[in-house]
Amino acid sequence: MTSEGRANFRRIFLLIGRLALGAMFLFAAYAKLKPQAAMPWSVGSVRTSLSMFAMQVDSYQLLPPGAVSLAAHSLPFIELALGLWLLTGLWLRSSTLITSLLLACFFSLMVRTYSLGLEINCGCFGPGEQLGKKSLLRDGSLLAFSLAVTICAFLARKKRGESATSVSVASEPQRAN
Amino acid sequence: MIRRTFHPLPVAALCDLAVVAMLALLCGAGVSGQTHQRAQTHAVANSDASAAPVKSLGNKNAPITMEVFSDYQCPSCGNFYENTLKHMIQESVAAGQVYFVHRDFPLPMHPYSYMAARWSNAAAKIGKFEVVDGALFDNQAAWSADGNIERFVAAAVGPADFKRIKKLMEGCDVNPNAGVKPAAFNNSGQADHGCLLDTYIEQDKQIANQIPVSQTPTSIITYKGQRYPAMPGFVTWPILKQFFDSLLKQ
Repeated sequence: MTSEGRANFRRIFLLIGRLALGAMFLFAAYAKLKPQAAMPWSVGSVRTSLSMFAMQVDSYQLLPPGAVSLAAHSLPFIELALGLWLLTGLWLRSSTLITSLLLACFFSLMVRTYSLGLEINCGCFGPGEQLGKKSLLRDGSLLAFSLAVTICAFLARKKRGESATSVSVASEPQRAN
Repeated sequence: MIRRTFHPLPVAALCDLAVVAMLALLCGAGVSGQTHQRAQTHAVANSDASAAPVKSLGNKNAPITMEVFSDYQCPSCGNFYENTLKHMIQESVAAGQVYFVHRDFPLPMHPYSYMAARWSNAAAKIGKFEVVDGALFDNQAAWSADGNIERFVAAAVGPADFKRIKKLMEGCDVNPNAGVKPAAFNNSGQADHGCLLDTYIEQDKQIANQIPVSQTPTSIITYKGQRYPAMPGFVTWPILKQFFDSLLKQ
């Protein structure tokens, strides 16, 4: 593959990658915020969904109740913001890096909980999904995919930076003339 | 001098008759009293045997119902009871906000959990569920070591109630979760060796399979008839209370 072909592939992979990750984060936020038990959308029902998510965070037995509440009430909105940020494609290196760090954090928490033998709900995409090999495999794959997208974003920037330098070097003699 | 004729014989006979009659009456009363007492005991034993175990606490019409599928020997269930359910019973159940329902889900990996569930069901039949449930969780580590559940049940209830519980435990001496299972105990865990209390445990297990529940503790919360997804694992009281408050504010 030529360098131009590689660059095109990277560009397409980056586009698909950020759109897929963005959509996934939007879905994860929606699953945590959506009203449970056939309740209509309202501030009260969203608050109940967040409290339900807090119980899932609490079942990981890692944080004190105050921190659990804070994490559970802010995480879905962070996911929502991150999903939208990835879809816009702005400051791609930062957005993909934050996505990878967040996914790495989630994945390490899941591995820790699984190794402790705690049989709980994952809480990844709303309630009802048990933490097990399947969810670990899925989140591990997502982390690997996100890392690949992040690397691509950094390489694309580097490549653009190099080509910008070569253009400016090439234009130097013209300016001298 | 008029000598008054004294008739000791008829008087003595009358006295004798009176004494005999009194004795007869007393004996009769005693016999009938004993029979009555025996009949009463028998009636109590019969009503105990036919009564359904009440393994719930609080007002049935409370807006929130919390069902907890639990295993008496599971450490996480013990932790959940001590740190969360106790507070919930004292606060939300007592305030009429929550109706708490205990469901038995003894796991095969715990050798004494099924026996503990039997004791709990026997106690629930005579209305002593709360104290025995508490005693079993409070002393989980002690009876888990040697399987002597009886002493903690005896200590939790009075001698009269313990006698009634013991009566209900008749035929329940074979431990289905022990290493060697009796031939009559089939693979599904359904007992058919004469312990009537197993019916209630199996009923709870059937409910668990319908949901489905696979681990303990698992909490099922229903608010005004709407059931929320099953929550497996331990949850601290402040976080559970926060959830209850959000439901009650709706």
